[in-house]
Amino acid sequence: MFREITLGQYYPVDSIIHRLDPRVKLMGTLVFLAALFVVNSWTMYGVAALVLAILIKSSNVPFRFMTKGLKSILVLLLISVSFNLFLTPGEPIVQFGILKISREGLEIAFKMGIRLVLLVLGSSLMTLTTTPNQLTDGMEKGLGIFKKIGVPVHEISMMMSIALRFIPILVEETDKIMKAQQARGADFESGNIIDRAKAMVPILVPLFISAFRRANDLAMAMEARCYHGGEGRTKMKPLRYAGRDIIAYLLMIMYLAACIASRFVDLI
Amino acid sequence: MKIIEAIHLAYDYIRTDENDKVIERTRALNDVNLSIEEGSFVCILGHNGSGKSTLAKLINGLNLPSEGTMLVSSRDTKNEKELWDIRKETGMVFQNPDNQIIASVVEEDVGFGPENIGIPTAEIWERVNKALHAVGMEAYRMKSPNRLSGGQKQRVAIAGTMAMIPKTIVLDEPTAMLDPSGRAEVIRTVKELNKTQGVTIILITHYMEETVDADRIIVMDKGKMVMDGTPGEVFKNVKELKEIRMDVPEVTELAWILKNEGMPVPDSVLTREELVSHLEKCLPKQADFQPDFVKKKPEHMDITDPVMRVRNLSHVYQKGTAMESYALKDVSFDVQRGSIVGFIGHTGSGKSTLTQHLNGLLKATDGAIEVNFRDNSALFKTDGKTKTKNVNADTAAFRGGKLISDMSESIKMNPDNTCNEGADKSKNIAVFREEPLHEGMERGNGTGFVNIYADGFDMKQLRFKVGLVFQYPEYQLFEIDVLTDVMFGPKNQGLSQEEARKRAEEALKMVGLGEEFWKKSPFELSGGQKRRVAIAGVLAMHPEVLILDEPTAGLDPAGRDDLFRQIRSLHDKVGMTIILVSHSMDDVARYTDQVIVLDHGELRMTGTPEEIFKRYKELEEMGLGAPQMTYLIHDLKDVGIRFEDRPDTVEEMAHCIVDLWKRYNKEEHGEDRASGKEAR
Repeated sequence: MFREITLGQYYPVDSIIHRLDPRVKLMGTLVFLAALFVVNSWTMYGVAALVLAILIKSSNVPFRFMTKGLKSILVLLLISVSFNLFLTPGEPIVQFGILKISREGLEIAFKMGIRLVLLVLGSSLMTLTTTPNQLTDGMEKGLGIFKKIGVPVHEISMMMSIALRFIPILVEETDKIMKAQQARGADFESGNIIDRAKAMVPILVPLFISAFRRANDLAMAMEARCYHGGEGRTKMKPLRYAGRDIIAYLLMIMYLAACIASRFVDLI
Repeated sequence: MKIIEAIHLAYDYIRTDENDKVIERTRALNDVNLSIEEGSFVCILGHNGSGKSTLAKLINGLNLPSEGTMLVSSRDTKNEKELWDIRKETGMVFQNPDNQIIASVVEEDVGFGPENIGIPTAEIWERVNKALHAVGMEAYRMKSPNRLSGGQKQRVAIAGTMAMIPKTIVLDEPTAMLDPSGRAEVIRTVKELNKTQGVTIILITHYMEETVDADRIIVMDKGKMVMDGTPGEVFKNVKELKEIRMDVPEVTELAWILKNEGMPVPDSVLTREELVSHLEKCLPKQADFQPDFVKKKPEHMDITDPVMRVRNLSHVYQKGTAMESYALKDVSFDVQRGSIVGFIGHTGSGKSTLTQHLNGLLKATDGAIEVNFRDNSALFKTDGKTKTKNVNADTAAFRGGKLISDMSESIKMNPDNTCNEGADKSKNIAVFREEPLHEGMERGNGTGFVNIYADGFDMKQLRFKVGLVFQYPEYQLFEIDVLTDVMFGPKNQGLSQEEARKRAEEALKMVGLGEEFWKKSPFELSGGQKRRVAIAGVLAMHPEVLILDEPTAGLDPAGRDDLFRQIRSLHDKVGMTIILVSHSMDDVARYTDQVIVLDHGELRMTGTPEEIFKRYKELEEMGLGAPQMTYLIHDLKDVGIRFEDRPDTVEEMAHCIVDLWKRYNKEEHGEDRASGKEAR
C-alpha cells in the first residue's frame, strides 16, 4: 500500500535532464512552482503543461512512472478540488440540496486541480532525475552562504540524503510489520478513529525500534569508513556548471518573465 | 609481517544509569593475545555473545580496549591521531547489507570512503572503478542499492572498503542474512581479494563450510580464545567443539563418528573428496553388498487426510497489461494433517507469496485453497451472532488447546506416544481421520473442505488457524513485556484477559521460555530468545497449521539446534502441521516429510525428501542444491560404493557406512578363514 510513493526515488537512465547541474534543477523547480502560482490564465496553464511535457519527454523517465506519484496525493487533490468546487460563491450551475456548483467554482477547482498535478509532476521530475546525493550536494553548495552564519549545511544535507535513501527501506519494513501483525489477528480496517489509532501502536513501535537500530548500525558503518563531518571532504562528483546549465538558467529566466508578463497583458 | 597484534586485550560493556553511575559491567573480551600475519585468511568462530564482534570493532578502533593494547600495523588504536589511518587501512563489512550503504547509487556509495579521507576527485574515480572491478559489480554501478540482491549489496559494501585501499578487511557475519547463492557469491569475492590483491581477511561467521579454506581458524567462547590453528587442527576437536555448542562441517562430523567406530579414517577430514578417497579403501564395491538400512516412512504419509488442499493457485501482478507477471502459476498440492512440509526455492521463487496465500494475507487471482480443520465452526461470518461469542464457542471446541495443556501428562501415560490424547478426551485424532465431518461442519456447507475464497469466509479466523511466523519475526515485538506481547494474538481472537494469559503462558513454556522471562522487556532478550517469543506469539493463537518462514535465519548453530528441537517437539507432541520455508537443504532433509520445490512461481517437484534430492541435478539447475550427504552418496556411487536407500542425515549415513563396513569385514575374514581351510 505504500509502494506507490515515488518521491525521492531516482530513476536511473541517462538524459539531458539527468546531466543538468542539481543547482539548476533545484532552481528550475522553484521557478516552475512559483510560475504556477503567478499565472492565472488557461493559455499559460497550457504553456506550463507543454513545458513540463517537453521536460518529461527529454528526461527519458516513462510518464507512467511519474503518474504513480500522483496516486499518493489523490486524496489531497480530491479534497482541495471539492472544497473549491462546492464552496466558491457565484452563479450556480447544478445544485444538490445545500451543495451547489457555481461556474466560478468549477473554474477555480479545475485550475486548482491542474496546478496541483503540475506541481507534483514538476517536483517529482526533479527527484526522479537527480540522485539524492546530487540533490543534497546541490543544496549544500547552493546554500553554502548560510554556512558562514553557523548553519550546519553539510550535516543537514547529509541527513536529508540518508533519509531519502532509507525511505524505500522503511516503507518495505512497514509493509512487512503490518502483515506480521495481521497474521496475529490485528485489524487495521475496522473500528472508530480511536480504535484505528490504537491499532497503529503494534506497527509504529517496531518501526521506530527498527529505525533506531538501523541508525545505530549506519552510524557505525559511516564511522568505520572514516566519516567525520564535512571538514576535509572531497567530492567524487564535484559540481561544475557546464554550457547547458547556463542555457537552462537563461530559459528559466525567460519562462518566468513570460509568466509574469502574462498577468499584465490581457491578450494571453 | 604482523599486521594485527592484540596484547592482553580486554573489553567491558558498561551500562550506566542517568547519573552516569555504573550499574553493570560485562566483560565481553578477556585477555586475548593474538597476532595476525599480513595477507592471511583468518576465520573467527564462536556462538553469539562469545566476543567475536567486539573483537572486530576493536580492530577497527570503533571500540577502544578497556585493558591491554590493540596494534594495527604497529599503531595503537588508543592513539586518537592515528585512528583515521587505522580505519583507512582496516575496512569493515557488517551483517545487515541495508544498514551500511549510505548513497542511493552504487558508485557514489563506493566513493563515500575516499571522499571522507580527502582523496582528489580524479583519484576517487580511479579507486571506485578498481574497487567495483575487484568485486565484479561494474555492471551495476548506476543501480540503486535497493534493487540489488543481498549478496550484491554485500559486494558493494566490500567495494566500499576496497576503495580505501585497505590492508585488512574485517567482515562481521557478512553472510548471516543472505541466501545460499548470495553467501557463495560473497565468500567467492572475499577469497579472490585475498588471493589476487593480498588483502588480509578476517571473517567472522557461523557457517562452518566457509571456514574450510581458511589459513587459520580462531574459536572464541565466553570472551576468550579457546582454539587457534589451521582448519585441520581445529576440526580435529569435534568433541570439544560440540561441548561449546559449535558445529563442525558435516563431512568432518561424519568422519569423526566413523573413526570412533573404529574405521580407518584419519582425524579432521575437511572435504568430501578426502573422505571418499579413504572410504574407497575400506568399503566393498560389489553390488551384493547393500547396507540393510531401511528408512522409516512417516506413518501419516499413507493416510490421505489433507488439512489443506491448494488447487491451481495463481497470483498475477498487473493482470491484462504488458507488465503482467506471475508470482505464482497454477500451483496445486496437498498438506497432510500432522506432517512437516518443506518449501524450497531460491529467493524470488514465490515461496513467501505462497505462504501469505495460505493464511489469507494475499488473495489469489485464480484457483482455490480448501481447508479442513479439526474444527471449522468459526470460519464463516455469521449474522446475528457477535464475533466474540463465536470465537468462544470455537475455543471450547478446540481440542488442540486441551491437547497442549494436557500433553505432558498424556505423554507420561503413553510413553510410546501411540495415543496422543488421553482416554478421557472425547475423540482422538484417529477418529477425525475416519470421519472428517464433525460437529463444527454442520454449520458449514456439509463437506469437510471449505474454500477460503467462498462467500462469507472470515479471513481473520483463517489467520488464527494457520499461524504464519515471518522471517526475522522478532522485529514485530512491541509490548512492554514478553507475556503481554504473546497475549496480543489471543486478545485479537476476542478471548478474555485470563484466557489470553493462560494461552500465552502455555505458549511460552512450549518454546522453552520459563517464568523468569515473562516480565522482561522483549528487547532485553538475546536474538534467539526474541525469536522464540515471536513464535510463541503465534502459537498462543492455537493454530492447526504453523508456517515458519526461514525460522533459523541469522541464528548461531546452538540457536538453530534449539529452535529445531522445539519445532520438532511441537509436531510430535501436539500433532501440529508444520510448513517450513527454508534455504537449507540439510534442514529440509532432516526435518520434513514432504518437500515442495518452487521455481519462478511454478511448482516444479513435490515428494518426500528422498525423492526430491535424488533429482539433485535438476535442483542445481534451479540454483538450489542438495544436502551434503546426498552429494556424498553420489561421490561414493561414482567410485562403485552404492547406497540404494538414501540416508540423509549424518547419523543415518554413519550408521549405514559402519554397518556395511562391519558386515564386509566379517565376510571377508570369514572367506579368508574358509580359503585357509581349503588350503590346508
